[in-house]
Amino acid sequence: MKPDTYFKRFSVTVVSLWLGLFALGAFLLVISVSFLSHSNDELITGPITLANYAALADMIYVKIFLRSLLLAGSCTVMSLVLGYPFAYLLARAPEKIKNTLLLLVIIPFWTSSLVRSYAIVALLKAQGILNTVLLSLGIIHQPLQLLFTDTAVMIGLVYNLLPFMILPLYANLERFDMNLVDAAKDLGASSWRILTRIIIPISMPGIMAGCILVLLPAMTLFYIPDLLGGAKSILLGNLIQMQFLSAHNWPLGAALSVVLTAFTGILVLVYRRYSTEQDRQDFV
Amino acid sequence: MKTLLKSSYLAAIYLFLYLPIIVLMGLSFNDSRHSLLWHGFTLHWYRALFHDHDLWIAAGHSLLLGLLAAIIATCIGALAAVSLYRYRFLGKNILNGLVFLLIVVPDIVLGIALLLLYNQLHLTLGFFSLLFAHITFCIPFVVVILTGRLSTIDRNMFLAAKDLGATEFTIIRRVVLPLLMPGIFVALLLSFALSFDDVVVSYFVSGPEYEILPLRVYAMARLGVKPELNALCSVIFLVTLFAAVGSQLLGRKKA
Amino acid sequence: MKWLLLLSLLLSGVVHASEVLNIYIWADDIPAEVIHQFEKDTGIKVNIAEYDSNETMYAKIKAARSSRYDIILPSSYYVERMAREGMLEPLDTKRLSNYGNLNAQFIKPAYDPNIPHSIPYLWGVTGIFANRQYFDPEAISSWNDLWRPEYKGQLLLLDDAREVFSMALLALGYSPNDTDSAHIKQAFDKLAALKPNVRVFAVEAAPSIINDADATVGMVWNGDVYQIHDENANIDFIYPKDGFVIWSDDLAILKNAPHKANAYKFLNYLLRADVAAKCSEYQGYATANLAGQHVLPKDMQNNPTIFPPASTLKHGQFQRDVGDEVLAVYDRYWQQLKLL
Repeated sequence: MKPDTYFKRFSVTVVSLWLGLFALGAFLLVISVSFLSHSNDELITGPITLANYAALADMIYVKIFLRSLLLAGSCTVMSLVLGYPFAYLLARAPEKIKNTLLLLVIIPFWTSSLVRSYAIVALLKAQGILNTVLLSLGIIHQPLQLLFTDTAVMIGLVYNLLPFMILPLYANLERFDMNLVDAAKDLGASSWRILTRIIIPISMPGIMAGCILVLLPAMTLFYIPDLLGGAKSILLGNLIQMQFLSAHNWPLGAALSVVLTAFTGILVLVYRRYSTEQDRQDFV
Repeated sequence: MKTLLKSSYLAAIYLFLYLPIIVLMGLSFNDSRHSLLWHGFTLHWYRALFHDHDLWIAAGHSLLLGLLAAIIATCIGALAAVSLYRYRFLGKNILNGLVFLLIVVPDIVLGIALLLLYNQLHLTLGFFSLLFAHITFCIPFVVVILTGRLSTIDRNMFLAAKDLGATEFTIIRRVVLPLLMPGIFVALLLSFALSFDDVVVSYFVSGPEYEILPLRVYAMARLGVKPELNALCSVIFLVTLFAAVGSQLLGRKKA
Repeated sequence: MKWLLLLSLLLSGVVHASEVLNIYIWADDIPAEVIHQFEKDTGIKVNIAEYDSNETMYAKIKAARSSRYDIILPSSYYVERMAREGMLEPLDTKRLSNYGNLNAQFIKPAYDPNIPHSIPYLWGVTGIFANRQYFDPEAISSWNDLWRPEYKGQLLLLDDAREVFSMALLALGYSPNDTDSAHIKQAFDKLAALKPNVRVFAVEAAPSIINDADATVGMVWNGDVYQIHDENANIDFIYPKDGFVIWSDDLAILKNAPHKANAYKFLNYLLRADVAAKCSEYQGYATANLAGQHVLPKDMQNNPTIFPPASTLKHGQFQRDVGDEVLAVYDRYWQQLKLL
């Protein structure tokens, strides 16, 4: 065989072994659990059944799913709107300070997200920092009721997920060839046209990567909505956690995760089908 | 004018990212156990923190775990990203699917699934069970970031390199790797952050002898965040900030 | 070389220390000082792991092939479940010379009625709090009072299905451990009417929410009110006259514990009056150790929030395990309640 393929073989083997064991192996266990039952004394037991999937055909789960999707979707849009210009400016920053600026995006995330979320609570409280500042500046005359509202949840989610939008966008935009923009300018294109016809289409893979990294975790995050939103609603993450922990119904929890995975898998597949058609040349 | 606008936008986002940290640093001096409002200045929580040896041991464990997990996950993730981008092979779609699977699956499900898997493998819960788990949940983030980067490479470069007689390994080393470098840097930092902050997966795969920081922090927050935790986070934050900015400054001087 | 040294140092938790005890407890429930004293006295190295809910603790122990923990600290209703499933070691009280220090009230409790599988450690009740600056605590005497329209958007409820349903069941005059689905349905309807009054569901953050007046009336554990009393004297605790839930956290030895002898030594140590008092004072919750109770500081001993008089306590009932089928009913209504 050609020596050229040594590297290919090595890399494909390492990756397949790792993901095969720790992702596929683990998930196959989840799938098998989803077809089993549970009893009062055993978390997982025979017989094999489809009852867990049948149980999911229930309006209440659909409602919870839609609610989570809506929340995660709006969080993704917010992150994109805030993060795209930021990533673009970062990628265009002078070479000297670029890495430092990037580092500064990640450093906050090296401290516990739970502790940082409590700090957001301290900011938003009725007698909290934000209200105190705004009141003393005379901007408002009544304390804003922000804590335990949807606004607070959105602030918390965007805050925690923004880097997952910024980083892939940055990685993508940093390679963007500014000559294209100059060329377009020379040809008389307006800024808007340059943005919508050149910059955005070329950075599409980065946008998609960022959206996936924000949307999917946002679907199942729960402690930030619980802490900032006062746990008044129930999201997919709560639901799955509830099955595994308080209800001791692992098979149902497993079935829920399998369906969630299948659904998002289809979403991603649809995207890939439509996006990868253009670059299917030059494989080794 | 335009530069001013750009700079203020950047500043605003940084403020958003750092405001909670500033707040928690303030709270670490707050003379109250059960309030998030200001009750006066104290150094009590720092004293308590420096006497809490268990916490420092846990922090050491987490540091080691995070470093190893970040490095290994970035290596495997980079191999995965390059393979998925550059090669055609049997089961490619499955590998692609597994990467997304790891992002989609909620932490609690991954934690329980890995626990069941370790039972099957007879792996004792402890350092290695944690390490494998952390590597696994970091990999997809590395892959997504690096794929985003790879997609900007002009494929003609590979053809050119090949025409000039470069072997595959040379292409990877001389063409792909340098182009990936900034992405790898980002992936390392992010993986470390993910590992250093993971509670849910770690909870299920940790053993009695290897306590790690996020678990301890999470458990200590049971009755609301103790100001001691704010003090701990302030210290961690300042150390990372100085280390990071310091290394940048140093790196620039050399260059 | 240096790296290897560091590595082995950091991994050293796994190594040596011939005498070991692995305890798995509620976070911060046993003061570090108490544990260090035990290590000093006996030379046994104590490894502490912590959990934040009975559910996560149970899931992990149940699922792991061998968890290697010796001692756990479940709440009463989980003692019942785990003892029934054979996960707990029946205790040989002859090996516990300090067993007699326990309050007779907590020996052979309803949730662990025969050979003891557990030793009650701390206990508390779920009652009502009111912030005097906003509402008159005198006006509240029972759970039913929380339904008043004047509390619209003010209530804090514990984010726990069983706790919230217990409240509604008690308000309806049923047992908090009711398994009759018609009664649970009634409780759900009653709770649906309460939802407009709810400002927040919380457990972990409850003390700071109450202290900072982000919720001014609602459900609370008595120890939380006692703990914040030093910082905010405006919070009153009320024992609802329509009844309340008592819970206890109980020490138990796991069936497959690798260090049983050390576990007995540790339990006996915790049963000492002075140690029990130290733990109780640290946590701000009542101890089930009568000898320990008597050496507590007087103001804590006499605090009616922590140690209610017998005439009050008789309205309390232990929280019990209701079994998974009934739990599923509770959970389903809980989901509907949150979706309202």
